[in-house]
Amino acid sequence: MNIENTKAQMRKGVLEYCILSVLHNGESYTSEILSQLKDAKLLVVEGTIYPLLTRLKNSGLLSYRWEESTSGPPRKYYGLTENGKLFLKELDSTWGELVEAVNLVTTHKLTKK
Amino acid sequence: MNKTININLGGIFFHIDEIAYTKLKSYLDAIRRSLSDDPQGRDEILNDIELRIGELLSERIKSERQVINEFDINEITKIMGQPEDYAVGENQYESEKTYRSSSSNKKLFRDNEDKFLGGVCSGLSHYIGIETIWVRLIWLVLLFFFGTGILLYILLWILVPVAETTAEKLQMKGEPVNISNIEKKIREEFQDVTSRVKDGVNDVTDSLKSSEFKSKAKSGIQEIVDTLTKIILAILTIFGKFIGAILIFIAAVTLIALVFGAFSWGSVEVLGFGTEFVRYPSFFSDAILPTWLLVIFTFIAIGIPFLVLFMLGLKILSSNVKSFSTTTKLSLLGIWIIALLGLALTGINFATQQAYDGVHNNTQELPFKVQDTIKVKMIGNDNLSNQRELRRRYNYETVFDKETEKLYSSRINIDIKSTDQLIPFIKIRKESEGNNRLNANKSAEAIDYIYGIQDNQLLLNGYFLTSLKSEFKDQMIDITIHLPINYIIYLDESTKTFIDDIQNVQNIRDIDMSKNYFKMTEKGLTCLNCDTTIFGDEYRKENDHFNLNIDRNGVNIKVNDGKKDAEVKIDENGIIIK
Repeated sequence: MNIENTKAQMRKGVLEYCILSVLHNGESYTSEILSQLKDAKLLVVEGTIYPLLTRLKNSGLLSYRWEESTSGPPRKYYGLTENGKLFLKELDSTWGELVEAVNLVTTHKLTKK
Repeated sequence: MNKTININLGGIFFHIDEIAYTKLKSYLDAIRRSLSDDPQGRDEILNDIELRIGELLSERIKSERQVINEFDINEITKIMGQPEDYAVGENQYESEKTYRSSSSNKKLFRDNEDKFLGGVCSGLSHYIGIETIWVRLIWLVLLFFFGTGILLYILLWILVPVAETTAEKLQMKGEPVNISNIEKKIREEFQDVTSRVKDGVNDVTDSLKSSEFKSKAKSGIQEIVDTLTKIILAILTIFGKFIGAILIFIAAVTLIALVFGAFSWGSVEVLGFGTEFVRYPSFFSDAILPTWLLVIFTFIAIGIPFLVLFMLGLKILSSNVKSFSTTTKLSLLGIWIIALLGLALTGINFATQQAYDGVHNNTQELPFKVQDTIKVKMIGNDNLSNQRELRRRYNYETVFDKETEKLYSSRINIDIKSTDQLIPFIKIRKESEGNNRLNANKSAEAIDYIYGIQDNQLLLNGYFLTSLKSEFKDQMIDITIHLPINYIIYLDESTKTFIDDIQNVQNIRDIDMSKNYFKMTEKGLTCLNCDTTIFGDEYRKENDHFNLNIDRNGVNIKVNDGKKDAEVKIDENGIIIK
């Protein structure tokens, strides 16, 4: 077992949830999503996010539109669809339960020691 | 000095130098490959990535005239991540793992990107590490020589999986499995061991200084043992691969030979080559099942085990090779058992054909008179047999009698016996085996044998013909010539090897009897002109005045002129003269 690998897997697991959460506050274009995730140290390399975005878009949770930019080529703005919002709501509650559960288990471990 | 190239990345124009361009291109290509799980989304994702790289690059460039160099691309790669990081999908964790562990462990895949039919050849060439064209050529040669390359190709097509994911493609193209690589691997393992031993020793010395000697020493030794095990495993793996290769080779050769054999066997007649081209064993021609079915059964009975062997070899060589599904396995087993049963039943049926002995007798009078000297002659047929010399043989020969294929045999025995009838006669006893008494008798009767009479000559055929189906039925002919007393018979030279244990007064052996005249006397057949040197152990000669007796006990001569007796006796006691 490689510790880096495990860490990466853990992060990847919640990445979709985080992308949806970032977009909850309104439409963003890719670079903005990237910088938010990177600031939160959820993302180590940028490459990971592109396949995820495409997958979320293809499963109808995200939609995008092109917008002209003053500083360069047009940008892709992503936003949540109605489905995406429902999905996010579901994930929110799941995440809450998960955090509770993980906390319970890990604190139990600590007290046992 | 370096050449520059103009590129359009995500709608932005860049100057890029050649090295950086190659690097960027191979990076994008690698990403494309690692995304092959998701071919629809791939182009879109790549587009997004190009856009982002363009954005990042334009942030780095200060002026429009600046050229992007290798360093820039390296920085971009650092930000964007390695090609493997792009791969998503549920099995990603797993594929990454196999990718890592298999960098030195090559596997056999089919290459779908460089394929003619199923990508078998290119996959093989990746595995062996030679150009695809050579593998294809070998296949073509196989195709032309036996037409059976097809079978192997189809087998590999079924059994070898396609390299689909990036990890699989890397495994497919990894270092070729050849001697120098194997050597390298062993050398690396050895170096690994030596360094580990060194570390172990250092650990031990270190721990001697500290107080934790016991546990550390243990782990040092443990380490050495582990590496030794690894080396042994590596060697075993190499040995196993070697065995796998041999297995594949043997199985492939056998399968090719089988297909070749079955095709020529089964199809020659259909193709009109005629039967002189191939000879079926009589097992085939006299069986309850049709020949083509037996050919197929034989093919299956031998072929399936070798097919399994072939698969085993492939599995040893490359662990990713697919197994047959359980249904396929079971049906293969079923077919195999059916074929075996079919062959066994045919075999039993064939064996019972020999269970009973059958006889057919034919007795005919011979129109010879006492004053005739009967000459017995054996007649051969040069048009039938290839044998230069006419003699008794115990084997069969396949010959053509007016365009029908028949079995030719010269297993004929000749005997001469006395009879108290007035006219000589000949008794021809044909023998054969069969699966019951009636069939055996019929089979005996079916033996085609004739003889003729010309002047004083009795012309006996020195051969007989039977139908092709009757091989292994032990057919033979016993000819007995019954002579009344005083008839004289001459045995021609041609009868020499056919004479079988003819009882005669002088105990002359069979091989010495031909070319001599014999007369049937009260005491039996007596040679009239034989040289005494060919007389057997016992010799008796007597008339009214004279009696000579030579046997194991010695020599005894008695003479009687009507008045006096004289006797000379030589035996173990010496000479006695009376």
